[in-house]
Amino acid sequence: MSAALLFPVLFCAVFVFAAARRVRVYDSFASGAAGVLPLLRSLFPYLAAMLVLAELFEASGLSARLAAALSPALSALGIPSEVAPLVLVKPFSGSGSLSLLSGLFARYGADSYIGRCASVAYAAGETVFYLSAVYFAVLPKKPVLPLVLALAANAASLALGCLFCRIL
Amino acid sequence: MNVLFVAVFCAAGAAVAMTDPAAFLPALLRGGEKAAGLCLSLAAVYAVWLGFLRVAEDAGLLSLLSRGLRPLTRRLFGTDDEQALGHIAVNFSANLLGMGGAATPAGVAAMRRLGERGTPYARAMLFAVNCAGFQLLPATVVALRAQAGAQDAYSVFWPVFLAGLCALAANVLLVWLAYGLRARLARRGRAGAEASRPQASRGGGGA
Repeated sequence: MSAALLFPVLFCAVFVFAAARRVRVYDSFASGAAGVLPLLRSLFPYLAAMLVLAELFEASGLSARLAAALSPALSALGIPSEVAPLVLVKPFSGSGSLSLLSGLFARYGADSYIGRCASVAYAAGETVFYLSAVYFAVLPKKPVLPLVLALAANAASLALGCLFCRIL
Repeated sequence: MNVLFVAVFCAAGAAVAMTDPAAFLPALLRGGEKAAGLCLSLAAVYAVWLGFLRVAEDAGLLSLLSRGLRPLTRRLFGTDDEQALGHIAVNFSANLLGMGGAATPAGVAAMRRLGERGTPYARAMLFAVNCAGFQLLPATVVALRAQAGAQDAYSVFWPVFLAGLCALAANVLLVWLAYGLRARLARRGRAGAEASRPQASRGGGGA
């Protein structure tokens, strides 16, 4: 079964099952969708602040300099320096890291060590800064410790992932 | 978070001012524009998934799923809250299946619930589980590799799978250690304060 088939089957099965259990599916769906507006109200301000900061950081050239400064440390961990921009962008932006990943594939080949490490860097670990803006937007006080912990954990697993690329 | 924001903003702002001051405001506006665009597309995704989740919830499917995952989630998050555990179960399953669109609305709903009646530990654990990005099949990467003409697009499956598993384990472990340590220190601090108080008064009486 192709993965694309999952969604139509899932939606239809759940709707039919709900209807059989006398759920008013139309009203129920609408009341769920109504929850979007308060969610966006709390989300937008923090998303805006985070993205303004990210754009300014990018425009200042500090992100490129940070990538250059970090690449020796990364290569000590077995992560090729070509992957450094991807490693840096990944915590901020899913679409940005996706375009960097396809660029690395086009330049070095998907089967090269660089291409394999880039695959790991993209797939293992999430857009941590973005997630922290989204998840903590609904809390009155935004904690910073979970953010630091997640960055550390993902960096460690990236180094391990590159090791797996070499031995597997 | 506030200190971090000011520090990074001023450092980047100063760097822009030195190289190209005219680029300052356009960069900020570009960020705002991206946030507005992202919110619009998120509204579309969330409307579909939150609507669907409400139907599944009303049909009793969410409580079924959460009951199945309860032994795991209850221990991991240290909460008994029915509603939070239900959303966490959806969030977790959607993450495993690589359906990020469904995972985030459920996760945010769980976070809101935990914000009302959860511990900082439970909130941090929810965030950590989502940050690992662990999924059973890295569909996006495999598709992109096939498109780039890889010999075997699936050849990265094991490295990616294991790295994701490590990320999940490391995230959970770090939160468990950091928050467990903090709670223990706070408890010891309280106990220490209580233990030292009679001593101090005794010392004061002696002098």
